[in-house]
Amino acid sequence: MNPVPATTGGAGLCSLARRAITGWALLGGVLLLAVVLVNVWTVIGGMIGFPFAGDFELSEIGVAVAAFMFLPYCQVQGENVTADVFTSNASPRWLYIFTAIGGALAFVFGCLLIWRMYFGMLDQKAYNLTSAILQFPVWVAFIPILISIAFLILAALVTLVESVSGAKNAS
Amino acid sequence: MPVDPIALGLIGLAVLIALIVIRVPIAYAMILVGAGGTALINGPQIFLSQLKTLAYGQFSIYDLSVVPMFVLMGALATKTGLSRDLFRAANAWFGWMRGGTAMAAISACAGFGAVCGSSLATASTMGKVALPELERYKYSPALATGSVAAGGVLGILIPPSVVLIIYAVIVEANIVTMFMAAFLPGILAVILFLLTIAVYVRLFPGSGPAHGAGSRAEFIDATKGVIPVLVVFGIVIGGIYAGLYNPTPAAAIGVFVVWLFGTVRGQLSLNDIKGSILETAGTTGMIYLILLGAELLKIFMSRAGVPQAAAEWVATSGYAPMTVMVILLIALILLGCLMDSLSMILLVVPFFWPVLVEVNGGIYQGAEGAGFGMSTDELKIWFGILALIVVELGLITPPVGMNVFVISALSPNTSMAQTFKGVMPFFLAELLRVGLLLAFPVVVLWLPRILQ
Amino acid sequence: QDYTFKLHHFLSAQAPAHTQMLEPWARQVEENSGGQVKIEIFPNMTLGGRPPELVQQVRDGVVDIVWTLNGYTPGQFPRSEVFELPGVYVNDPVASNLAMRELYDSDLAEDFKGMEVMFLHVHAGQAIHMAEKEVRSPADLEGSKMRIPTRTGAWVIEALGASPVAMPVPELPQALSKGVVDGAFIPWEIIPPLKIFEQTKYQIEGANEERFGTSVFQVSMNQGKWDNLPEDVQQAFRDASDEEWLVEMGEVWRGADDFGINMAVENGNEHIVLTDEETAAFRDALAPVHDRWVEDVTGSGVDGAALIEKAIATTQEHATK
Ligand code: NA
Ligand code: NA
Repeated sequence: MNPVPATTGGAGLCSLARRAITGWALLGGVLLLAVVLVNVWTVIGGMIGFPFAGDFELSEIGVAVAAFMFLPYCQVQGENVTADVFTSNASPRWLYIFTAIGGALAFVFGCLLIWRMYFGMLDQKAYNLTSAILQFPVWVAFIPILISIAFLILAALVTLVESVSGAKNAS
Repeated sequence: MPVDPIALGLIGLAVLIALIVIRVPIAYAMILVGAGGTALINGPQIFLSQLKTLAYGQFSIYDLSVVPMFVLMGALATKTGLSRDLFRAANAWFGWMRGGTAMAAISACAGFGAVCGSSLATASTMGKVALPELERYKYSPALATGSVAAGGVLGILIPPSVVLIIYAVIVEANIVTMFMAAFLPGILAVILFLLTIAVYVRLFPGSGPAHGAGSRAEFIDATKGVIPVLVVFGIVIGGIYAGLYNPTPAAAIGVFVVWLFGTVRGQLSLNDIKGSILETAGTTGMIYLILLGAELLKIFMSRAGVPQAAAEWVATSGYAPMTVMVILLIALILLGCLMDSLSMILLVVPFFWPVLVEVNGGIYQGAEGAGFGMSTDELKIWFGILALIVVELGLITPPVGMNVFVISALSPNTSMAQTFKGVMPFFLAELLRVGLLLAFPVVVLWLPRILQ
Repeated sequence: QDYTFKLHHFLSAQAPAHTQMLEPWARQVEENSGGQVKIEIFPNMTLGGRPPELVQQVRDGVVDIVWTLNGYTPGQFPRSEVFELPGVYVNDPVASNLAMRELYDSDLAEDFKGMEVMFLHVHAGQAIHMAEKEVRSPADLEGSKMRIPTRTGAWVIEALGASPVAMPVPELPQALSKGVVDGAFIPWEIIPPLKIFEQTKYQIEGANEERFGTSVFQVSMNQGKWDNLPEDVQQAFRDASDEEWLVEMGEVWRGADDFGINMAVENGNEHIVLTDEETAAFRDALAPVHDRWVEDVTGSGVDGAALIEKAIATTQEHATK
């Protein structure tokens, strides 16, 4: 979806960051697979007389955390949908600049989000919020989420660094 | 300070479009306008406070947990080679006819749509499989790329369908009912697309040459390739229709079955699974970020009073219900030139749906005396399918036609213009289908009625 | 108008809670204030977020007033939760509404830090809806899958030997008709909007409309917003939320409930009213729910056993039937 090549090589730090972000997304995938198994088990268990009441909550929480874990990868791969029509004839240099704008926005938003969601986590903890049946404390789910947002900030930085250096080289 | 809500909403929309034009990711454009607009009206504190839990709240909607699972199922199905088998089978059936290989591509798209929830994924998967064959049989570039790009939309029209799930979540419809409602219109699309090709190759002889049929043994062997898709579709969508399980467990079982199938056939290496997960990560992240952006934009618009003003405006305009519906659909088609289908559904349906409810006579309106001659429950279903079709049209219309982009990238020898030209007949077929469904809502409502 | 308020809630603008409770209440406040107050109601979560976020929104001042179901945030309102328990709530929403008012300052206020409660209320009580199975004793429910409303609802269902299933309300009709759940545990008032009579055959409640617990709702204002209001405006809110109003709301929710069960019966469903002995069998089976609740809230520093006793006694003092 992104006409700007996602991997421009870049500095060694950038590729290291990319690898960490990819690893984090794969970990999110493992969590998603765990949710898949819980759901498969629920159906089979329900059919053979061992219904499991918590699948609903585990799916909600598990998929939410996994989705956060996917955000940094999505950013670094340039998977966020853009409308490329008006810029399809733009020079590579301008494309890099546009990508940099997107990266800067992601960076600012990531910083806001991690700041606010940290307080969100404190709220969940202070008010003792739990899921309805399994009584799973919601604030615990915020820990991997905050780590994910830290990775999102890192991913935005990678985008920024790569596209700024790309813009310089493309002229 | 009192600001004219419509004016504020329009300014917000203009800024949104400006940001999208300079290639800001649509999700971030929505986030920026939503947050900025809310801050302008009610101060920054509102947005900052809401940000504490808003993202978690949106990401943990139970009905959405099915989305990444269906994405993963589609990715695994691609790696398992189901798309190739489907195309081979379809080509054995149709290939000997004039335009037959293009018809095979359409049919295979429909088949793949039965296990894949996304249009783009269907287009790119089938493109990889079908385009080389179409080229080999000397199909005209326009017909070849056009039919695969158009066929891609079947990925979303035939259940499962990610966009339809999102629609159901927004209007609080039952996902299962929506899946049932999409089925016949999806079949209708396949039929119309096949007819389109049949007419096209008669109008432009040589654009789709026939080729010899294979042996009987080859035919039977190729046909067997349909079995896995039939099994997966039967277990997942069949199970949902039969009420054996909810969509989320169904999708989980789908992932499991496709994985099992790929592993048994030895076509799913660890690397393939890794690739599928990363594909799922990219798509899921994209979808969820748009969800968040749309929610922020909704907050801004609600605080500005746009939806209320729009509903009031329509209610006092005196337009006939059908006129309102057609205006809304045209607005969606126009927006489709700019935005992807998911963003559009998320952006527009929260505003359009209350208007339609108003026009129909309220949320509990029964069929009798209703503006559209059907209960609001059924209107929800009907409008959902119509909206789904027209937002999917955006995938094949210029200037931003995602499917066309994907197919063009797969076929470097064909220009984007040629592909858009090749898609035009299918676009007309789609308009015809929208007209048919507008005139005969029963095509949409029949299956939900008898299966409920 | 000198004071405007945004009231946010999770149901549609056509729901009885909106038309028969929130609208009239808001208009009453406006009238009491002599035109100083304007309350804009935003239904359907139009100001963003999911229902569980409503409490947070009013605490943070994202919105000024919310109406919400306390059970959306399990664990956050341990004290007022006592009024959801079977045996504490029996069959009389008016009595529960008044009892919650009476015990508010002494026993419940702790739950509501950062918000000023306008009023608390309950619905007419959880009853049993069954798709296929006739239920007359807890044994009949054994092994059934039941859709539950809140965590106390889940405990009730478990005490009856059935398994609780959580799911969004819009999915309930489908889940019932396809056997994903065997029944649901909600008041009759849900029958009309979801046409539950189409998927169920039996509606079951105890003798003398006895129910198996209820759910507590609140209408609350942001604390800062409240504290900055002049006394006469505060009084306008207080007057609109007085005891008379609580009685009226008890009757409104009872009325919505009666409307629902009548619709089910008109559509050929069987309305099972348990005999006194059958009701007693349910009461016995539900006894462990109190212990479980006491154990749970003790962790939050609440003397659960004493609170249950007090809540029962106060509710009975206000009993209208
Ligand atoms: Na599909
Ligand atoms: Na388009």
